[in-house]
Amino acid sequence: MTLNIDEEQDVSVTKGMIRAEFNFWVGIVMDKFYDGLQEKKFIGTKCSKCGKVFLPPRNRCGDCFAKAEDFIDLPETGILKNFTVTTYKISERKTRNVKKDQIVGLVQIDGADSAMVVPVININPEDLKIGMKLKVVWAKNIKGDPNDIAGFEPIGGV
Amino acid sequence: MANVQPAVISAGFCEHASKRSDVNMAELVNEAVEDCLNKAGSVEWKDIDYVINGNMPAFEGANMPELWMTDHMAAKNKPLLRVTTGGTTGGSVFVSGYYAVASGLYDMVLAVAFEQQSCGNTTVGLASVALGELSIYPSLGYEATRLRRNMGAGAAIGVASYQAMNYMRRSKATEEDLARVVVQNRRNAAKNWWTHLKMPTITIEDVLDTPYISYPLRFGMVCPASDGACAVLFTTEEKAKQIADIPVYINGVGSYANEPAIIGVDCGGAGQTDPCEQLGAVKSAELAYSQAGISFPNKEIDYAEVYSPFPNQELQWVERVGLFEPNSAPEAYLNGVTALNGEMPVNCSGGVNSTNAIGASAMERPAESALQIMGKAGNQVPKTVHTALGHGWGGAINLISHVVMADEPQRKFK
Amino acid sequence: MDKVAIVGFYQVKPGLDIMMSPYEMLFEATRGALDHAGLKRDDLSTVIGCNNDYYDGKTISNCFKVEAGGAYMKDESKVEMDGAHAMMYGLMRVLSGNHKLAMVYGISMPSCFPYESARILETDPTFDRPINILNGYTAGGMQMRAYLNAFGISEEDIAKVAAYNLKNAAKNPLALPEAQKTNISVDEVLNSELLSAPLRKLMYPVLCDGVTAVILAPERQARKITDKPVWITGVGHFNDTYYLGDRDLSSCSSMEKAAEKAYKIAGINDPKSEINVAELFGHTACEDLILAEAAGLADKGKGLSLINTGKLNPSGGTMAGYTPAANGLTRIVEAVKQIRGEAEGHQISGANKAIASGQVGFCAQNNIVYVLEGGE
Ligand SMILES: [Zn+2]
Repeated sequence: MTLNIDEEQDVSVTKGMIRAEFNFWVGIVMDKFYDGLQEKKFIGTKCSKCGKVFLPPRNRCGDCFAKAEDFIDLPETGILKNFTVTTYKISERKTRNVKKDQIVGLVQIDGADSAMVVPVININPEDLKIGMKLKVVWAKNIKGDPNDIAGFEPIGGV
Repeated sequence: MANVQPAVISAGFCEHASKRSDVNMAELVNEAVEDCLNKAGSVEWKDIDYVINGNMPAFEGANMPELWMTDHMAAKNKPLLRVTTGGTTGGSVFVSGYYAVASGLYDMVLAVAFEQQSCGNTTVGLASVALGELSIYPSLGYEATRLRRNMGAGAAIGVASYQAMNYMRRSKATEEDLARVVVQNRRNAAKNWWTHLKMPTITIEDVLDTPYISYPLRFGMVCPASDGACAVLFTTEEKAKQIADIPVYINGVGSYANEPAIIGVDCGGAGQTDPCEQLGAVKSAELAYSQAGISFPNKEIDYAEVYSPFPNQELQWVERVGLFEPNSAPEAYLNGVTALNGEMPVNCSGGVNSTNAIGASAMERPAESALQIMGKAGNQVPKTVHTALGHGWGGAINLISHVVMADEPQRKFK
Repeated sequence: MDKVAIVGFYQVKPGLDIMMSPYEMLFEATRGALDHAGLKRDDLSTVIGCNNDYYDGKTISNCFKVEAGGAYMKDESKVEMDGAHAMMYGLMRVLSGNHKLAMVYGISMPSCFPYESARILETDPTFDRPINILNGYTAGGMQMRAYLNAFGISEEDIAKVAAYNLKNAAKNPLALPEAQKTNISVDEVLNSELLSAPLRKLMYPVLCDGVTAVILAPERQARKITDKPVWITGVGHFNDTYYLGDRDLSSCSSMEKAAEKAYKIAGINDPKSEINVAELFGHTACEDLILAEAAGLADKGKGLSLINTGKLNPSGGTMAGYTPAANGLTRIVEAVKQIRGEAEGHQISGANKAIASGQVGFCAQNNIVYVLEGGE
């Protein structure tokens, strides 16, 4: 941790930072999803009751409170449900304006009923359209975690 | 006012372990919720009309995780409230479950408390309880450079060893007395399905053979850090009678706040100088007993679950909540009064000393007490339990929860 | 629902960086609320705090707020959501009959913590957090796009709402001075920096340090304490799923359900005509409209008309200064002031029935709404 105390001010200001490392267990179904990413594949789950398909997978359906532990292979393509363009990067420490457009999209993979918040790349913000078809671009170095999704790009360019 | 008598109809757990790496937080919680609903007879998840959740926020590094876990707690399109009070969290969530029903606003309330400590660093999390109070250091004359060294004393073990010293001075309890409590807890835990440290053959010598962590507490006396979750279902007296064979009525609740105690020798907090005095626990118990119409807790209560990560605390709490005369608990433990077949069984679940998923621990106390009244506990006492208590503490040993339950409702007098 | 009243309240004047310790600030609010109600600390029987360990940078942040919060040797607890959620717990405690006087406070000091970073910790740690592009800005941006697209509304309309809020804030003596903009134009809002398109900086509230406290009492006690009790006649609380892709972001189903429940309890059949004032906790200017529509104050997509009536956020709403963990309580206090006829500078004449709301989560996942009424 770091600590500095400013005695000059009327109010003594102390700034501290405690480093704490966290590692999250990904769980029953996300484990399979991560494994799928390693093979450049999307693996979702299906609700055993209503049949809704979730990607990223979850092991319970919120509408039915039923198990969703049946795995289902999903394609690499989907549609853009919503998007926003920001120049801000917010980390676990601070908010920075990186002065570079990043497109954040809500992408629904074909055959899935849920959507994921992922980067949209290789397109100008002006050309974005809700409902457009997209395809995943995999990262150069596949590590088996969500950052293997480098982003989604429009199918066949724009 | 509402005049509703809340009752517990079901309690569920997930299996506790040091690393539940097979599940994520949401799935861990889901296991307890499912277990609770499976044991709740005709109640379905759709019948639940209020959900309350809590854990120690800094331990997993997730802020308001229940928002993300909504679907796993059957909380979609239902009200969801987050209550957290440190180690007391589970007890506070339990108490808020009571109030959600007692208010007359809701009549099927699910309360869930959990902790997946293997996700984070608990000691760093706890150190920030004290180190958040950085402003105190300059005024005490401490140099910033010394802080890192002091962090060890700021965690739970630091405060517990002062408490132990104070208690041992008052009661003349020995290290052997402390070890005896540990042995009773861990042997009990071996008979309860969901617990973490199961040690059916542990002896006092085994405990005393382990090295000191912080005098007088030895490694073998300290609670483990567990992953686990607990869920409890509350409803009204009328509904409980239809659903449960033996509804457990919550007749008194108290959750007093004291000044924060000294945390470690170098840390902030100026209030209590003797952390085993525990006025908050005494007053919480008094309030709960008066609501429940209990005048002689040592005679009228059949079973107790107290929150004691460290063995000295178990001795201290059973006295402070009125089950034993001051300083007499070590003798009671020696004479088997608190054993499974004793007159006043305590912590037959194995207690926090055997399983400590911090956010869940204080809920597991009243939950286990309720199961003892229902006759469904994992390590059921042979005698019939009519009245039982569940206690919890947290914060800088200044936040208390105290719940009194019975198989008969206590009509509130207005 | 039995009658419970708000009998006292106090809001610390917010600031970008209040030169006070959190405990001094909290003490000012709790002492202020007791003085306002003419009560002593001894009269209190329970205290419910609302603060967030990540915002306070401290595990179990309520354990050091015991003394300043007035909770020493009181039946205490803490809700870690919004102040409005804490009031729900306080209300439950009073309704149970166990407690006759409850103090509820909400506190945070954004000058001491990076609020947007703390929100990152709310995301799904198994997917959204490693990818790290879902945050307060981007969620707000997507929500605004969904709303604009669903109803064919222009960015200019949202800018009008932002300007309306900031002008209202100028009339509110307890608004953050930096948010009080008497002469702000719609163009100024439209030309402000983009946070996450189409969401702009002046459509997003300014964070500020603050505390708000209220005191609740059941009917019998309330009538003895004050001549102007404000009754809580209805409350609704609902939570939606976390996943943005599962929700219709152009509306807010948890707010719809919460309002429906609150109106049912309060016996309100036509909120459009019956509600005089709405103090809603919208996280952006756009969300103010979405919540107002969800609460039935306007038809879907027609929320903009509310700014002509003036009954939406006369205090400036969240845009008048946003204190996390206290904002919902501030909205409630503003509604209470309107009903008591004490809203200096921004009083709606004849206000007698108001709603106030609080929320947590991305795109208002978890909403709670109160119906407040004056008179007998
Ligand atoms: Zn389903």
